[in-house]
Amino acid sequence: MKTHTRCLVLSLLACALGAAGAHAGITAGMKEGNPALKSISQLAFGPEGVLFIADTKAAAIVAVATGDTQPAASSALIKATAINQKIAALLGAAADQIVIEDLAVNPISRQAYLAISRGRGPDAAPVLLRIKADGQPEIVALDRVKFSRAELPDAPTDGMVGQANRQRNPRLEAITDIAYADGRVVVAGLSNEEFSSTLRAIEFPFKDVTRGTTVEIYHGAHGAYETRAPVRTFVPYKVGNQSHLLAAYTCTPLVQFALSDLKPGAKIQGKTIAEFGNRNRPLDIVVYQKDGKDYLLLANSARGVMKVAAEQITGASSITSKVDGTKGLAFEKIDWDGINQLDRLDNRHAVVIRAGAGGIQNLETLALP
Amino acid sequence: MRSRLRTALAVLFLGAGFTARAEYAIRWIHERAAAIEVDGLTRDNLAQLAAAKPRDLASSELLTVHVEQPVERGSTAPTMPSVAGTWKIVGDALRFEPRFPFAPGVRYRAEFQPVRLPGRPGAHGETSDPSGAARTDPVISYFELPRAPATGATAVVQVFPSGDVLPENQLKFYVHFSAPMSRGGIYEHVQLRDRAGNLIELPFLELDEELWDPAMTRVTLLIDPGRIKRGVKPLEDMGPVFEEGKTYTLAIQPSWRDAGGTPLATTFVKTFRIGPADRTPPDPNRWTIQSEPRTGTAEPLIVGFDEPIDRALALRLIGIARVEPGGRPLSAVEGEVALDDHERRWTFRPVEPWSRGAYRLVVATTIEDLAGNNIGKTFDVELAAGAQRQLATSTISVPFDVK
Repeated sequence: MKTHTRCLVLSLLACALGAAGAHAGITAGMKEGNPALKSISQLAFGPEGVLFIADTKAAAIVAVATGDTQPAASSALIKATAINQKIAALLGAAADQIVIEDLAVNPISRQAYLAISRGRGPDAAPVLLRIKADGQPEIVALDRVKFSRAELPDAPTDGMVGQANRQRNPRLEAITDIAYADGRVVVAGLSNEEFSSTLRAIEFPFKDVTRGTTVEIYHGAHGAYETRAPVRTFVPYKVGNQSHLLAAYTCTPLVQFALSDLKPGAKIQGKTIAEFGNRNRPLDIVVYQKDGKDYLLLANSARGVMKVAAEQITGASSITSKVDGTKGLAFEKIDWDGINQLDRLDNRHAVVIRAGAGGIQNLETLALP
Repeated sequence: MRSRLRTALAVLFLGAGFTARAEYAIRWIHERAAAIEVDGLTRDNLAQLAAAKPRDLASSELLTVHVEQPVERGSTAPTMPSVAGTWKIVGDALRFEPRFPFAPGVRYRAEFQPVRLPGRPGAHGETSDPSGAARTDPVISYFELPRAPATGATAVVQVFPSGDVLPENQLKFYVHFSAPMSRGGIYEHVQLRDRAGNLIELPFLELDEELWDPAMTRVTLLIDPGRIKRGVKPLEDMGPVFEEGKTYTLAIQPSWRDAGGTPLATTFVKTFRIGPADRTPPDPNRWTIQSEPRTGTAEPLIVGFDEPIDRALALRLIGIARVEPGGRPLSAVEGEVALDDHERRWTFRPVEPWSRGAYRLVVATTIEDLAGNNIGKTFDVELAAGAQRQLATSTISVPFDVK
């Protein structure tokens, strides 16, 4: 997930507040320098052009004030053919050594940002890119930016255990998605050792030492058993007046839970509101409005893109019985092939990265269905 | 050779009118910070370039480096950006330093366009230099760093669990490599087959992030939890990955490349039989201390498990603490840990000799057996049974004395 619900509105509101001088604090506590990323994976925009970057190797979330806060002058659509080859050319690498980790559109400026790994081995260099109006990528220099960081706590173990064991610690927590909502950065992670899926909510601006909160999420899959399946992607969404997360799991239930439930040590019982079918991985989920109604758009590895009318969520019943095929929220299958990355450009358009012929990846703007 | 290499490599001059006076030359400097330099600039040129703003030098396209990319016949290649970097005057040369070091195996084309030198009124190919046409012709040079020789020696050294009988609800495999690997599309290189050689469809939880360790010499493969649990949909549709009594083969293909781009030396095969599902949480109270160390020695403490424990977690989540007198907090004992007997035996060798007193074997409750059961909770909890998950991170201790 990238943009949060109505983030454009909120961002504009934030700008308006900023103009009134009422928002001091978002970047006030940041320091200037080089955040020295060790790696780069998931991206999410917060207010005022602040970009949250997941650095898995450093086990940290870095908030960077991009300064990209000028509202878009035009509603031009973004397009970059063979974006993977262009990135390879810019970074002086072979195209097969470029990994496009994530795509996020700045809701204020409508500029598309890409998280790139240059290389596939342990020495891969993390790079943040932006797509220029002419469809060419440019490096977003992080040598001297205002930033702050939240270190993710290491494996939640007792101090007595393991720390004195003299061996290299191979534990890493892969960050599968991040999002900003209601003054908090929500981070989904999955360890390469313990089979635990965690969701942390970290207050932003980050405190001096931000440990965040750790909860485990369960969803009552089909009533009988709890699962610990990892959260793959999620989007904040207001149901009534309450902020919720809609989380897509790996095999593909859509689960709803209240953001306010993300408290330290809490056990959250999510509500499974849809089953979108198996042999599939959800990739990205966005929310948009059309004709006065909210919709979810879910990109998948094997089941294409699904459009869901969000009005079904209010009052949706929890799926508690075994499912044959799909169940719960009705969805419409959208005929977009080869989508690897998805984010919302505005209420009428999505930016995607999709596979073309011969290993080419194209960045395109598509009209939202 | 450790000497300062300023090797001029593969410098090709294009332009029929090359004369002795046209001494622009591109040099590829292959050292720690790889760069290229252009020689042959006049004093005036150098002064003007030194005074130019970095941004102007970048946009002037006076000196550019491009990656040569294969273009499919008949296709129209989109315009490719030049390699990002910085330009500056160093000594008597114009230097370009790429933002990232030149990569082995990539062919680069450097182009110096004298017509774009500052102060030249006749830019864009017009010959206005009285010194002759050659002074305006572009100078092009190609360069490719050789790939590190493929040793072909990278191999899978071990897959854990190392035993050949695994529970029906086996959760994880750790694949260890002899050298760092490359990521991306790893699931293409791993196959799970039954005894008849039939491919098990989608057995793994495929994660784009791929669960590597920082050194990228170990990757974690998770069996799709939807296919090892009871009553969850993929299981209903596709059946479990493993069935008790059957034999399976995990094969890792040489198509998987190491970090240097070289395929693995051979196919790695692990064959194992599936036993009953394990739905019993591990319990350190059932473990046995097989060898008690004596005071004043650095003898190992050996603990036998009653079942194999997840290797990574057994190495990280079990420790030794010393009980301090006077009710003071426990203190951690530093030492080396090892596992053997198919992850059933844990050995701790202290750095300092043992001293007489009371100790604790401290185990985090998040430790897992092969089926992902934690201390006090099974992997899947039947809600109807009213089972409570224990969420507080905690440890349990098994006391022992050193005499």
